[in-house]
Order: sequence, then C-alpha cells, then structure tokens
Amino acid sequence: MPNVLCSVATRGRYFTTLPMVLNAIANQTRLPDKLIIFDDNDEPQDMRNEFIYQHLFSIFDNKKISWEWQFAEKKGQHYIHQRANTMGFDWVWRVDDDAIPELNVLENLLKFANDKIGAVGGSILTDPLPNTKSSTGLISNINKEPNIQWNYIYKPKSIEHLHCSFLYRAGVYDFNLGLSRVAHREETLFTYGLLKKGYKLLVIPMANTWHFKNPEGGIRSETKKEMFDHDEKIYQNFMQYKDNTIVVLNCGMGDHIVFNKVLQDIKNPIVFTCYPEIVKGKSIAEAQALFGDIDQWNIYKKMDFWHWTDSLENAFRKMYL
Amino acid sequence: MILIAPYAQKLRNGKQNPKNYPYKSWTELIGLIQKPIIQVGLEGENKLVNDCRFNLSIQELKNLIQECDTWISVDSMFQHLAWSCNKKGIVLFSQSNPDIFGHKENTNLLKDKIYLRHNQFLWWEDTPYNSDAFVDPQEIIKYL
Repeated sequence: MPNVLCSVATRGRYFTTLPMVLNAIANQTRLPDKLIIFDDNDEPQDMRNEFIYQHLFSIFDNKKISWEWQFAEKKGQHYIHQRANTMGFDWVWRVDDDAIPELNVLENLLKFANDKIGAVGGSILTDPLPNTKSSTGLISNINKEPNIQWNYIYKPKSIEHLHCSFLYRAGVYDFNLGLSRVAHREETLFTYGLLKKGYKLLVIPMANTWHFKNPEGGIRSETKKEMFDHDEKIYQNFMQYKDNTIVVLNCGMGDHIVFNKVLQDIKNPIVFTCYPEIVKGKSIAEAQALFGDIDQWNIYKKMDFWHWTDSLENAFRKMYL
Repeated sequence: MILIAPYAQKLRNGKQNPKNYPYKSWTELIGLIQKPIIQVGLEGENKLVNDCRFNLSIQELKNLIQECDTWISVDSMFQHLAWSCNKKGIVLFSQSNPDIFGHKENTNLLKDKIYLRHNQFLWWEDTPYNSDAFVDPQEIIKYL
C-alpha cells in the first residue's frame, strides 16, 4: 500500500471553505496516511479554540487519521508544496483550500498510481463548466484551450500538465522556489517537470473536485501584477528550453570533471556551468536569471536528500538521465 | 616522475581543510619516495619539494599528468582530473567517502570508515580537522 500524505495549503479561508475541505478529506473512502494543514496566513490563529475545528479534529482522531497543523513560511504555496514533497511519503495528494473533493477522489486517483505515473488528477469543477471536448492537455496549448480538468472527464487520458488539486509522486521533481509568493504556474512547472523526468501524467474520470472559486482569500491572494509577470517570465523561460535537458552545474571543479563522463548520455543538454573550461556552457548567473531558483539542480543537496552512498558520477546520472 | 597534489581547496573560514594530509606526514612520505617529485597546486600553498608548479591551467596539468609515472593526491579536483586522463594514482582520503567521491580505478586509501563524517554533503567549513584520520606514510609507500 503506498504511503500517502494529504497536503492542504491554506490562507485567508479559516471560516469559509477550509472546514469544508477538511470534512471532505475526513470522509474519503480511502483515507490518507497523514494529513498536514500548512497555515500560510499572515496572522495565524489557533483553530483548536473554534468549535467547528474542534469537531473536525475529533473526527480525525476518531478515524485515526494522523494529522498536523503546521505554520508555513509565508513565502507562498510553492514552499509549502516543496516541504510536503520532501517529507518521505510515496505520494502526496495536494488539496487546495477551496477545492472540495467528492468522497471517492483519493481512492480513484490511487488506482492509477503505478510505477509509470508521475501525477494523476481528476476534474476540477466550477459552474458554468466550459466545453473541454477539444482540449488536449498539451503544454503547447495551455493558453489556447480551456483546461481539460474544468469539465467532467469520461476516460483516462495522458496529458502534459495538471492544475489545482492532484496526486503526485513525491521526491522526484522539485517545486520551483524562485517563483514569487503568488506562485503563478507552480503546478504547471511542477507537473511538466515530472513528465520530463519520464513519468506519465493522467487525468481520470470519477475523481471530481468542486472548486469554490472566491475572489477573496486563498493561497494566491496577492494582486501585484509584477509578481505574476515575474513568474510568467520564469515559466516562459522553461518553455523555451522544453525540448532540452537543463543542466546546471553550480558545484566544484572536480564535480564538473566527473560530470563530463555523464554529459554524452544526456538527451539534448543545455548546460549552465561554473567552469566553462571544463564543461562548456552558459553562465550560472544566466541560469539564475532564467529559472529563478537553481537549487533544484544542486547535486549535493540531492545526494543528501537521497541518502546517497553510490558514486558522484551515478548521482549525476540519476539527476539528468 | 611522481606528481603530488597535497592540498584541497582553501576554506572560506581560513581553517585547515579536513581533506588535507598533515604536513609532517607529507614530509615523511616524500622522504620515502625514491623518484623525482613535482608538486602541483596554487600559489601560497606550502612547498614540500623543490619543483613546485603552481597555478597551472587545466591543459598544463593534463600534460603533466600524462608525463608522470603516477601521482598522489588528497581528495581534491586533481584526483578527478587525473582519472579523466586515465592515469592511475593514489588518493589519500580521511573524512570523505571514497565510495562516493573516489574512482575505483585509483588506489583509494582510507584509514578507517569510523573517521568518515556523518553527513558527506555539507560544507567542509563545518567539519573539524582530524590529523588521525589519515593513513601513515609507511602504508602509502606500499602502494606506490
């Protein structure tokens, strides 16, 4: 049985949709192994004093759902998701604080969570439902078509990006921490990254979540246009290199020499390097400017996360092949 | 001719890099070697032999590696460069793990796994120097 964390990032919705989301999670036909509510509110409150939450928490306890309320860093939901992503669970079911899953969602998502799958999502519904009959789910059509998840899904379909709430394979690809607090495009970048790692993305039927869109509150409740523009630029830069394997060597000279052995096996690499005399490429400053955060390519951080005991060369292979 | 690369990268806090083989042990080891020795490294490092070649380019280092009979290095960039040139040599490990940072083509000398630092991937600035963590010169000379 896979080990599933349910992660709920919340901001500004203590007394609107969050209790509904938690109730829906508590009533799933397949319960998560752990539930963590990541509280990203500017002024966090102790919900143990609120009677609705007292009842919700007692339901969790009665149903033996292990749960935690963690106060987040107020840097945006991408930081929260990355925390959830690296907690050691096999899968993370991320549920937005205004997205109410029907009771069979986790059970049905998990039916498709096999070795080849990076993430699987269902419908994310807000009335009126747009016509998605011709939606492809391809990343190249993201600005040209309604998201395929915005209407009922009648059969499983491979797509190239997912939206809002979905189940994903944990610890394989990082959320981009270079995005602004609004974290515009964070789930697109993340799920497309899983796809580029060689995993399939699926949308499936019978996994409906009702999206209670509310102009107030929410984890993306910043309105500064420059934040969206900043994030959109990072997204566009990733798309510019979507047919490449992005390699960022922000490491030592010896590491570059070892990496050289791996380079020949990388499909269509675009390299950013500290030592161009050893590994030819563009500068690290350019990588930082293009992609916002380059820590996701930090080979030492990765080896630490993987509890690595094999060779440095094989660590590079795991990262880039 | 034998090349030696006695020093790993200088640390930002000015402390001795825990990967550096102790000075006294180097001098003892050099006294046991019966061949000409060239030391490579960076200007400012302690000179252990008369023939020191500092601040060489990567290509100049590669040329020297091709010319040498073998080499002895601490766990530094040099051991990787020599490996990339297919020249076998001896690497003096202490607290870094040769299973991760070494190459099986070389002779990786580790005194004991008990000296390996707990987390292999943190900054070296956080790791105290331990001169006991290295093999003795008499042990090294057996592999030369």
